[in-house]
Amino acid sequence: MIKKNNYQPSDYAGKLAKGFLRNPLTVVLGVFLLAIGYLALEIMPREENPQMIVSGSTVIVALPGASAKEVQRVIVEPLERKLKEVKGVEHIYGTAMDNVGIVNAAFFIGEIKEDSNLKIYDKIMQNSDIFPHGAMDPIIKPLDIDVDIPIISVAFFSNGDNLSKTELYNSVKKIQHHINGLDNVAVTEIKGGNKTQFNIEVDLNKLSGYNLSMGQIVQAVQALSYSVPAVKNRTKDNQIIMFGVKNAIESSKDIANIIVAQYMGSPIYLKQVAKVEKSYDIQNFKSASISVRDANGKFTPLRDQVTLTVSKLQGTNAVVIANAVKNELETYRKLLNKNGINYVITRNDGQRANEAVNELVYHLVLSIVIIAILLAIVLGWRESLIVTFTVPAILAITLGVAYLTDQTINRITLFAFLLSLGLLVDAAIIVIENIHRHYYSAQNDGESIDDLMIRATDEIGPPTNIATLAIIMTMIPMAFVGQMMGQFMKPIPANVPVSLIASLFVAYIFTPYLAVRMLKKPKSHNDGSK
Amino acid sequence: MKNFEKLISNNIQNKKRRRIILIGAIVAFILSVLMIAPSKMVLAKMLPSKDNDTFNIYVTLANGSSIEQTNQVTNCVVNEIIKEKNLIDTEVFLGMGAPLDFAGLIKGSHFKNSENLAEIVLNIAPKHKRDEPSYIMVQRLRSVIQSNCEKLYPNTNISFVEPPAGPPVLAAIVAEVYGNNADGIRVLAKKIETVFKNTDGLVDIDIMQDEIYDTYEIIVNSDKVSRSGVNIKQLNDVLYLAFEGMQIAVKNSDLYNDQLPIYLSLSKESKKFTSKDISSIKIKLSSLKLMNQMGMMTPITELVTIVPKKSNPLIMNKNLHQMTNVMAETDMVSQVYPLMEARNVILDTFKDSYEIEKIGMFNLQLSDKKTGEIYKIIWDGEMEVTLDTFVELGVAFIAALILIFLLMVIYYKSYTLSGIILLSSFLSIIGVIVGHWIMNIFTADTFFLTATSLIGFIALIGISSRNSLLLIDFTKSLIRDKGMSKADAIAYSAATRAKPIFLTAAAIILASTLLAGDAVFGGLGVSLIFGTIAAVISSLVIVPVLLFQADLEKHFNN
Repeated sequence: MIKKNNYQPSDYAGKLAKGFLRNPLTVVLGVFLLAIGYLALEIMPREENPQMIVSGSTVIVALPGASAKEVQRVIVEPLERKLKEVKGVEHIYGTAMDNVGIVNAAFFIGEIKEDSNLKIYDKIMQNSDIFPHGAMDPIIKPLDIDVDIPIISVAFFSNGDNLSKTELYNSVKKIQHHINGLDNVAVTEIKGGNKTQFNIEVDLNKLSGYNLSMGQIVQAVQALSYSVPAVKNRTKDNQIIMFGVKNAIESSKDIANIIVAQYMGSPIYLKQVAKVEKSYDIQNFKSASISVRDANGKFTPLRDQVTLTVSKLQGTNAVVIANAVKNELETYRKLLNKNGINYVITRNDGQRANEAVNELVYHLVLSIVIIAILLAIVLGWRESLIVTFTVPAILAITLGVAYLTDQTINRITLFAFLLSLGLLVDAAIIVIENIHRHYYSAQNDGESIDDLMIRATDEIGPPTNIATLAIIMTMIPMAFVGQMMGQFMKPIPANVPVSLIASLFVAYIFTPYLAVRMLKKPKSHNDGSK
Repeated sequence: MKNFEKLISNNIQNKKRRRIILIGAIVAFILSVLMIAPSKMVLAKMLPSKDNDTFNIYVTLANGSSIEQTNQVTNCVVNEIIKEKNLIDTEVFLGMGAPLDFAGLIKGSHFKNSENLAEIVLNIAPKHKRDEPSYIMVQRLRSVIQSNCEKLYPNTNISFVEPPAGPPVLAAIVAEVYGNNADGIRVLAKKIETVFKNTDGLVDIDIMQDEIYDTYEIIVNSDKVSRSGVNIKQLNDVLYLAFEGMQIAVKNSDLYNDQLPIYLSLSKESKKFTSKDISSIKIKLSSLKLMNQMGMMTPITELVTIVPKKSNPLIMNKNLHQMTNVMAETDMVSQVYPLMEARNVILDTFKDSYEIEKIGMFNLQLSDKKTGEIYKIIWDGEMEVTLDTFVELGVAFIAALILIFLLMVIYYKSYTLSGIILLSSFLSIIGVIVGHWIMNIFTADTFFLTATSLIGFIALIGISSRNSLLLIDFTKSLIRDKGMSKADAIAYSAATRAKPIFLTAAAIILASTLLAGDAVFGGLGVSLIFGTIAAVISSLVIVPVLLFQADLEKHFNN
């Protein structure tokens, strides 16, 4: 097979083709690239939507007893002026209502979250003297898209009606702690449900009947609900003796038996004027309920439910976390069912992301197959096979680069791949078409196959380079589009140029390499350029 | 191949045919541009609706409504939605927001904490298992639910919130009303709301402001308070304890995850007022007594007088100016056209009471004819994002054109050749616009020209300039190396290059067909498919004609 190479390539295309045409490492490089791509596809975090850098902070200041207009003047307006001084803030939204002022500073899209939060915190702390007398300490709540938006929500509800309002909440609260312990889980929150508390519900008529004031009840209860640490003392032999005062209140009965006042010498117990019981937080007006289909496909009436939401840390894989949460819940299913509690997953972004990604990967494969068939018809199946091989190699390089630059696999990344798919086969098609044309052309009879390959590649090099560069040029300005839309579309200008550059290298290196080994020189040289 | 070569050769050598081709191209270009602007055959929108497996319904009653009233409305809504065959489950969150999502983040769902608010979450069957897209379902449910349930209580607002296809916005249309007079803003906002309600295609219209409702104020007679030996704090505490209730102590427990509060209030039955008027409040308060240090009891009613008053609505500012938002969603149409319509109505009907001045692109400045106070109407929401995005993508497009032109000038060292390449790639816009028009005819709902269409178009310039480039390069080598005549070389290279040009175009078209099916990226797919077709025609038919007319020998020898 050794023939002397007497064609001297002038372009990078030909030089690459020459360098790799007979190099044993070419095949190693090919396998290596494919392996990197496959690994990246498996390891990279999957999401439905690309991550957006959105920062902002909300400052809440309470001034009890002030009217909306007062709050506007003494809290909101000075605070707005101060926050306006912060660099990078795009909009400031102020809201003044009775008792409370809220100011929200929204940063320009793309401002780094940590820096922005620090700037706001710093500004408020430096100017804590602007707040009026009587105002409570400001609460600064930074916006955090990753942590604020849960990827999973689970609704727990009772199968029947035999469960008390607080039992559901307490069971979920126990599970919450375990879910929070899972890897990369950021925040877990509970919505709905009722907490346990002792309720003293005073009957107004009896209160006035006994001539009592609410204040007396408060004093009486507070007098008994005091707990102290244990007292430590020594005996004569220096042994330690500890003793503590037991809490006076252990049950609702203890509260009910508190003496509120003396009337004509006889004590008035709390239970005489009020109903005391251990139940749920009656002052909480919020509630959550759910209706699911029962065994017959009919919807059950709305039932009380408690929703547990789970959010993930930034840059972690939603699919993995969602599955971990699902498995963890599965271990509690039996125990929950025994207590008459059932659950449904009402949101699973991990699954949604996985489905979206898998569907697009399927589309990608389908497109490759369709293009391969088209090429097989027009150029012949060997040529088609060569071009088809270059596609995974190019995608693998692009995926590898995307992984190294901390991107995630999301809908937009895959659309960028679909978009580049139409473009990236071009370089290979142009090279193989030129090889094909020279190969079957009678003029090239005397030339060695290697020379022919290199010459065919080299010839097409300069226009292909420039043409690919032209497409990359169109993508560069797109990278500078700002706003939400620019952030959202970022994977397109980030990945398409990479795949185009990769497509050039792959076309110049692997197309001649495979062509030399796969194409069969026709016996008849009078075929012409068909 | 030979036929094609002959055709090109005839085209470029016949003066009449050359003229027909060039004039045809110009006419096609003008016609396609006309399809967007005056005729509205192709409509523009930032992003189309997306088919989702879930969406939310926000229920907002008038401020001051109770949780029981809110519950009544949500029950009404739930009764309607459980009739849906595609529904899997539904959740109601009373007095708070549902677990936060992208849309809720912008709409302030996580700050919801009031008795007049509720959110309902609907999970519907995955999109492969149902025929009806979620946005059609929303459109259908919206009219039924709003007509049945909004009438339960006045000023009830039920809006439908779908996960956005792209970046989330506050609403499709937001009219920010700025001014220095709160009452004036209120009046103007109400007027704009009426305009929106009468505009076709706008739904879920809402003013972001508190309704003013009746409240009562207790005025303390300080003289009597000091004489009875009690103080105002005591008075406040007792009132709060009695009706709102308060946590007065806690009990630690190792059985529960939280401390157990001990909570004191009047019992539910005894704290209810008999009716909403002063006398019933007085009757209640007369039973509540304060005790002074001597142990003497004074009924609260002896220390205070009760007067009715109006509630204090909340005050909103944006960028330090007082304002109110009037918001509207669009019902399956682009927000651009209803907005222009509403703006025209405002311009026509508001001039009776305001002097109107146009500021910026679409914004308005109004000055009250009676008081001379100045108000501004600034458009925000999806409209603003759309404008910004289209402008920025437009700039990106021009920048791409310039970059390509410079690249070609560097490569060919000729302005004429670079110009030919640029011109031929620019003509692919004909395909993009006509493609959208054709898709609009064949799809059930409107097929919009979107931001992704523009991205496709930008990518297309690169693709079509490559076709012309390969053609010119081959012609150059034929003339220089083989010494062919200009006409022969152009015809031969067009015929030879036709195959790879067709192949790469076919690859792009096939790869984009799958894109075209997606809601968000449909525009990109359609742009690429039809734009590539136009690009192929332009590089194989128009470029040879332009090349023939150029002085090739001079340009190639540079």
